[in-house]
Amino acid sequence: MERRQQWLRGVLDLCVLGALTRGESYGYEIGQRLEAGGLGPIAGGTLYPALLRLERLGLVVADWRAGDGGPSRKYYRLSAEGKATLASAGADWAVFVGNVNAIMEVP
Amino acid sequence: MTVDDWLAAFAAELRRRRVDPAALVAEAATHLRDSGRAPLQVFGPPAAYAVTLVDSLRGATAELRRAPSGEPRLEATKIIKRYGRSTVLHGVDLRVHAGETVAIIGANGSGKSTLLRICAGLISPDSGHVRIRGTLGYCPQDGGTADFLTADEHFVLVGAGRGSSRTEARAQGRTAAAALDWPRPGTSGVARQLSGGTRQKLNLVLAGLGDPDVLLLDEPYQGFDNGSYLDFWQQVWRWRDAGKAVVVVTHRLGELDRADAVLDLTPGSPR
Amino acid sequence: MRILTVAEMALREISRRRGVLILLALLPLAFYYSRRGEAYWQSVRFVSLGIGWTLSTAALFAGNAARTIEPRLRLSGYATHELYLGRLAALWTVGLTLIVPYFLLIRLDLDVRYGAVALILLLTVAVAAPFGLALSALLPRELEGMLVLLTVVAMQMMLDPETTVAHALPFWFSREIGTYAIENPADPHLMTRGTIHATITLAVLISMVAITSTIRLRRRPHMSLAAQ
Repeated sequence: MERRQQWLRGVLDLCVLGALTRGESYGYEIGQRLEAGGLGPIAGGTLYPALLRLERLGLVVADWRAGDGGPSRKYYRLSAEGKATLASAGADWAVFVGNVNAIMEVP
Repeated sequence: MTVDDWLAAFAAELRRRRVDPAALVAEAATHLRDSGRAPLQVFGPPAAYAVTLVDSLRGATAELRRAPSGEPRLEATKIIKRYGRSTVLHGVDLRVHAGETVAIIGANGSGKSTLLRICAGLISPDSGHVRIRGTLGYCPQDGGTADFLTADEHFVLVGAGRGSSRTEARAQGRTAAAALDWPRPGTSGVARQLSGGTRQKLNLVLAGLGDPDVLLLDEPYQGFDNGSYLDFWQQVWRWRDAGKAVVVVTHRLGELDRADAVLDLTPGSPR
Repeated sequence: MRILTVAEMALREISRRRGVLILLALLPLAFYYSRRGEAYWQSVRFVSLGIGWTLSTAALFAGNAARTIEPRLRLSGYATHELYLGRLAALWTVGLTLIVPYFLLIRLDLDVRYGAVALILLLTVAVAAPFGLALSALLPRELEGMLVLLTVVAMQMMLDPETTVAHALPFWFSREIGTYAIENPADPHLMTRGTIHATITLAVLISMVAITSTIRLRRRPHMSLAAQ
């Protein structure tokens, strides 16, 4: 459990970017997507700081939409840099995982 | 803790850190409504969450600044200085704690440089007392360097006074010079060959050499270009964050909102 | 030791002032040859005066140059005595280096008492350095200091050595010991008197340097400093 948390801390930003390739979304729903993808429940206290960092770095763009019959929500979507970063970081990640698997002799 | 209480505490923490709370509170409130779970479970304590968010917003590590506490590093009490028949300083008080920056402003002739020289112990006041806790560094508007020595030799000479070895002193001097946009002080030749602005950078680096606890800076940016002037203030804030007490005499009022306190020596202004 | 660091940097400073170095090297030579003709025995005295004058000048300039940086060095932790002793050590080193070729010149060129000559040269160097530093402490600018030096050297050459005023001149001993060096038979009292004069002058001048520096760089009464 501890180890998983550490791994997640390293890739959460990229997973958020990945979750947005399907289309724009708001904070709670992004958390749902990540959980459905098998990462387990992501606490709001972890998710929103990650979203703010990505926004500050220009990898996601956000705006507020009036909800249908509900409160306005802040919607996030990938920027061009975000797409590019996801692609290159994804490639790095694949190489990294491959090496780790080889070293640990994962069958 | 109810949702409303948590949101109110969260908003207060954000406001304390000079961040507009509206958007962040709204987003948190919507999330809590969607998830239906307790805020402490979802976000944790409001103060800690506020700090994490602010760090993400600003891209900085957790604030190192401590609120001024304990004994002040520099304490000047009731300083009076007369030149002939005119009184330049009328009983001035100045208190600077570790991790604090104080800006001293005032018109020409209002005694800013005189006050700083008195605090550095270079001249005597007619009455009053100065107490320093720790080591002291002083940077005048000009001077303080030797015409025929190179920058490295200055670093070694001043560093030896503070007990630094030659290598330490040179490394510290060169690093500090680079932070002021002076990348290769080792190749610059002797001090009299330096341009005015670069020579002042040497002056400033020497003032900070050996990590003194109190820094007294008298408009040390004479001759700096705009970029170096900004680098100078970055260095001031780095010094402050490292726990030093920094006093800057300045007539450039634009930076005042970044100083922790301002002392205005213009006659007639409240002290 | 910090005194050595001060001395090293003072030496580096002097070695970069080409004009001063050339003066130091050649002016005493000019003095030497000015008397080399008929009154060759005067050469010893004149060359020592030349060395005294140029070394005092070098000390005057060194002392003035140090004034802007010494307050900073004090703040950085140097004790006042480390500063003036280091500077004196550097100037004495320069002086000692200077007198070696001149001693060799006299050794090869003249037939005089070489022990006494060596003593004159050593005492001249010893006195000249604090003399120049004391002048820089008492007089604000190099110009006034140079004028005083000129006056002293001129009076040294022209005054009758038996007068009281002449006794007050810092290099009076060079004439006394100089006479001993060249006269035959010579009165050993001259050596004694000259050495005593030089010793007293040296003590007075070093004290002046120490006192003026200590006053100028003192910890002022309105300041109290604590370690933390």
